[in-house]
This record gives sequence, C-alpha cells and structure tokens, in this order.
Amino acid sequence: MAQEPHLVLCVDDELIGLKVRKILLERAGYRVLTAPDGSAGLELFTSEPIDCVVLDYSMPGMNGGEVAAKMRQAKPHIPILLLSAYIGLPSEVLSMVDLCMTKGEGPPVLLSKLGSLLQPLSRA
Amino acid sequence: MNLSQFNRILRQVFLLPVIALLLAAVALYLQIQGANSTVRLIQESDAHISQVSRLNTLILNEESALRGYENTSDARFLQPYLDASPHLQAEFNKMKALPGLDDVERRYIDDLIDKHQTWLDAFALPVIATIEAGGQVRDVDLNLRGKFMMDDIRRDLADTTHNAEQRRAVRIDLWQHQVRYMEQLLLVLALCVGIFIGLFTRNRLHAVSDAYKTSLDVLGRRAEEIFQSEQQLRTTLASIGDGVITCDTEGRVQMMNPVAVELTGWSQAEAHDRPLETIFQIVNETTRLAMENPVSKVKRLNRIVGLGNHTILIRKDKTELHIADSGAPIRDRTDGIAGVVMVFRDITLERKTQDALLANEKLAVAGRLAATIAHEIHNPLDSVSNLLYLMRNGATKEESVQFMDMAEQELARVTQISRAMLGLYRESRAPVLVDLKEMLQEILLLMERRFSDDQVIVHTDLPSGVSVDAFPAELRQVFSNLITNAAEAAGPGGQVNVSLRPQPALSINGIRQEAGAIVTIADNGMGIPAEVQPHLFQPFFTTKGERGTGLGLWVSRGIITKHGGTIELASDTGETTHGTSVSVFLATKPTINAGGN
Repeated sequence: MAQEPHLVLCVDDELIGLKVRKILLERAGYRVLTAPDGSAGLELFTSEPIDCVVLDYSMPGMNGGEVAAKMRQAKPHIPILLLSAYIGLPSEVLSMVDLCMTKGEGPPVLLSKLGSLLQPLSRA
Repeated sequence: MNLSQFNRILRQVFLLPVIALLLAAVALYLQIQGANSTVRLIQESDAHISQVSRLNTLILNEESALRGYENTSDARFLQPYLDASPHLQAEFNKMKALPGLDDVERRYIDDLIDKHQTWLDAFALPVIATIEAGGQVRDVDLNLRGKFMMDDIRRDLADTTHNAEQRRAVRIDLWQHQVRYMEQLLLVLALCVGIFIGLFTRNRLHAVSDAYKTSLDVLGRRAEEIFQSEQQLRTTLASIGDGVITCDTEGRVQMMNPVAVELTGWSQAEAHDRPLETIFQIVNETTRLAMENPVSKVKRLNRIVGLGNHTILIRKDKTELHIADSGAPIRDRTDGIAGVVMVFRDITLERKTQDALLANEKLAVAGRLAATIAHEIHNPLDSVSNLLYLMRNGATKEESVQFMDMAEQELARVTQISRAMLGLYRESRAPVLVDLKEMLQEILLLMERRFSDDQVIVHTDLPSGVSVDAFPAELRQVFSNLITNAAEAAGPGGQVNVSLRPQPALSINGIRQEAGAIVTIADNGMGIPAEVQPHLFQPFFTTKGERGTGLGLWVSRGIITKHGGTIELASDTGETTHGTSVSVFLATKPTINAGGN
C-alpha cells in the first residue's frame, strides 16, 4: 500500500469549520487542500490532481451548486460530497453531486461517506 | 302642455266668445237702428196724419162758422172762424215744416194752401165783408161755388190723409218685416255663435283634457317609477350585507334594515323613535368607555365620519360584537342635515382572521430567517462535533487547548444566534426601553448569511445611545421585514443602507412632532413603480409571487401605528437614481395605541 493518500479539496467560507475539517481529514489519512470560496476552489480543482471534493453549499459569490456544476464540466469523474447547513436543497443541485450530508451529522458520517466515494478508486 | 299653453287656452276660451257675442251684438244693433228709423218714419206718418186731421178740423170750423154767420149774420157765430183762421196759417206752416215729406206731398200741401187761400179770398172774405156790410148772401151760385171749393179742399185733405195712411201702412209693413228679419237674424246669430262657442270651447277643452290625460299618464308612470325605485331601494337596503340605521336630527332611530336588527338585537318596532344610544350602544374595546354618539359626532363635524377602530357593540342581550362603522349626514335640499345614517358590520370574524394573519406573518418572518438560523447553528455544530471527535481520538495537550478555544468560539456563535432569534418571540406586556442600535445589529446578524448568499452589501450608520420605548419583538419583526425587502430589492451586488438618527422634538407648520428616532432602510434596487406604491401597505399585496405572504408591510404599518409612529416609503425608478427608502419614525416616549393596526 505504498499508494499516495487521496487528495481531498475542501471548499467552505466558514474558516474555523474549514480548519477543523482539514485537521480531521488529515488525521484520517487524507491529503487536504482548502479554499475559502468557490472561485479559489475551482482554481485548485483544475490545477491540482484532486481525488474528491467536500463542498459547502452556502457560500458568498458562487454557491455550492454552481461550483459543482463547473467542476462537473471540468472533470466529470471526480466525486463531490456536498455539505450543507440547510435541509431540503433544490433537487437539481442534489442530482449534480454524488453524495450529500447536513453539517452537524458528525465526523463518522463524513468519513464513511468520503470513504465510500473513494473506495472504487482505491481499489483500482 | 305647459302652463303658458294652458293660459293661452284660458284666454282663448274667454276672449273668443266675447268677440263673437260682440259681433252678434253689433249686427243686432244695426238691425235695431234700421227698425228704429222705420219707427221714426211711422211716427212721422202719424204726425202727418194728425196734422192733416187738425187742418181738417180747423177748416171745418171755418166753414161751419161762416155758414152760421151767413145764416144769422150774428158776429158771435163767426167767432170760431176768427179763432181758426190765424191758427190755420200756423198749422199750414207746421204742416209744411213736417219732416219726411216727399215732393208729391209738398205739392198737395201747396195746392191745399192755394185752394184754401182761394176759398178765403174768393168766398169767405167776400161773404164776411158782405154780411158785415149788412148784406145778405143767399146767392145759391155763390154758395155752390164756395161748397165746391170746400169739397175740393176736403178731397185734397182726404187724399193727403189717405196718402199718409198708405205710407204709414207701408212703413209698418217694413217695420214688421224688419222685426221678423231681426228675429230670424237673432235666432241664426244665437245659433251660430252658440255652435261656434260650443265647438271652440269643446276643441279647447279637448286640448286641455288631452293634456290632462297625458299628465295623468305621466304622473301615473312617475308614481309607478317612484314606487319601483322605492321598492328597489327598500330591497337594496334590506339585502345589504351591512347594518343600516337611520336617525332623525335628534338622534332618534327611524329605520333599521334586517342586518341592523340582527346585529343590535332590537326589532325595528322596538327601536323606532328611541334614542340611538339605547339601540346602538358602543364602547371602546380596551378602555370600555362609551364612544361618542355617532349622530352628535356627524352633526359636530358635518361630514362622513368613521367611528374609530376597536368599537364594540353591546347588543340588547348584552353580548358583544366587534364592529366597524361609519356615520354620514343625510342632506336635505338646502344641504342642511336632515338626519344621520349609520352603516356598520360585524367584524368579529374579521378580527379573528386578522389575529390569525398576524400570527402567521410572525411565523413567516421566522421562516424567512430559517436559512440563517440553520446555517448559524449547523456550522458551529459541525465544527464542535469535529473538534470533539479529534479530541477523543487523541490530541496533544496544546492541540486540545486550541480545539477547546475554537469550540467555545463556535458555541458563542450559537448562543448569540439563539438569543437574537428568541428576541423575535419574546413578548412583553408593557413597552420597554429598546436600544435601536443593538436591536438592528442583532437583526443584521440574523440575516448576515442571507446577505452573503445573495451578495448584498450592507452599510450601516448606527450611532449608539438611541433608545425608544417599544415592544421589542414587534419592532424586530418590522425591521427584519423591511431589511429583507430591501435585500431582495437590491439583488446580487446591490446595496442596503441601514441608518439610525435621533430626531429632536420640533414643530413644523404648527404640527408638533415629538422627539424620537428615525430608522431608514434604503436599497438601490429597481424601485417601485408609482402605480404599485399605493397598494404596498394593503394586506395580501405582494410583488414576490409565491415567496411572499403579502402581509409584511401591512403588519409592519400596524405595529408602527400601534407604537404611535409613522412609516413612509419613497421610491424612484429612474435609470441612475433608482432605489427605495423606507423611513420609520418612533417616538421616544410614545402613546401606545393598544389596539394596534
């Protein structure tokens, strides 16, 4: 298993939340890049070999739905996990992403969902 | 037919018979004149005849006297002759002077005079002279000649008399004829004039009777129309959904419609002529004080009056109804007040609906803030649960301290948001001192997420220390409404300005303005078209389609009115100057209008 750890891109405007999430994911064995808004996230997404995206929905400028749409255009195969503080997001947004969870569901849920998204790739 | 036509007919009916009778009278008068002149002629003939007979007598006297004198030679026998002779000449002259003699008659008279003169000269005078001389006149020839002469005279006189009588007879005939003619004429004229007057009067009376019939018809139709329209009004009044009571100027009830009967509990018969206060007992909802009698209020103000909000009608059975009412003067022809009409309706259900709407709007405000609340709770919650997870799975001491700091910060956020949210619901029974800066900041905090989502830039100008007495939960509702509206109007990239400034007491044009504060919420959105502006404060009016309840501004105004404040909206749709600004004035020490709205 000399395999390189997966590179996860976290996009969120909540800076404390973002920082904590980065630490959490790093402890879980991922490499983590962070971006405080949609456009910075998109830049990293195109420039770096991102394996998976953990994307916040509610952000100033571009919201998670719009960011996801652009990411799908650039690299359609990269899985996206949408995090949201809201319940009941528009269905067109939900159909755009691979998985979705509400903030506050706890780290185990986050880690298992993220794991399930990356499993096929790690098997490969 | 109008009055002048009728007067003309009256004149015609009066004048035409008068004229016809006058003409008939003139014709009769002329006829009578003719008859009169004939009568005059008859009188002339009579005079003629009597004159002839007088002459005859005198001549006879002369002859007899002369004969006596002849026989006796006594002068006494001659006396009648002497008496007659001078008369005779005068009578002859009189005879000649008689009017209306024709030539034949004149000739007869002249002839008679001649013959008489001849008799005098050739017989009488010589005889008298002879006798006076003592002679005898017994000569037969002489006497025969005298006799012949006298016979001739007598014949002449008889002829003259006969002539005159004949003429008289002719004239009498003429007169009789004239009288008959006059009778006929009178008959014919009377008949004609009578028929004419009759026909004419009949014709005129026909015209009048036609006109009368027409006006009767018109009156009948009018009466029918008035009846119909009265029926219609009666039906309308009876069918009207509102209670209607009419009073005379003294405030005594004259008429009530069925709804009024039902609402007041008094029947029309019971209520009639009773004072309005008895039938229509109204008190203020909160103070329970009797409200001013609508009749005296209308009379005092001499115009239509709304009779105040929060009116409660106490029915005959002492149950109570919330009513909305108004009073209006009933004008007479001179624009004076002939009575007062009251219109009122039961708004008990409406009030309940209104209360439900208000509650609903309060929930809607919270609903609109739900996104922010969810965001502001779930984000810190997420961080805290992540931090706890990290700490449980082995963190160094330094890390733990750092994680706990971060967790505390995040929890502080939750506390703040929950406080701000509770503020929306915390009801207080009495107004409390509210720091407007604090309140506006709390509201902005609740909405912060939303602004950032919508990319709305908020500028604030909120000086410290501006406070007013108010119900905080309600003010929060108002400002959160207004700021939400402004943010939605501004749209992505737009700006919202929230400013606060104290307003010292001042007096403009004699209108005293209390000291207070003005909160202005302005956006640079597209502005509100002028035709929409009047509807903004109406319930259920929304420009937001499905997203809006249409109650925000209506409720806001109700709340501000309750606080004794004012809310004003100015909007501009100009290309470079567009935007909307809402200003709320709140008095520092307001008189709270307990009923609100």
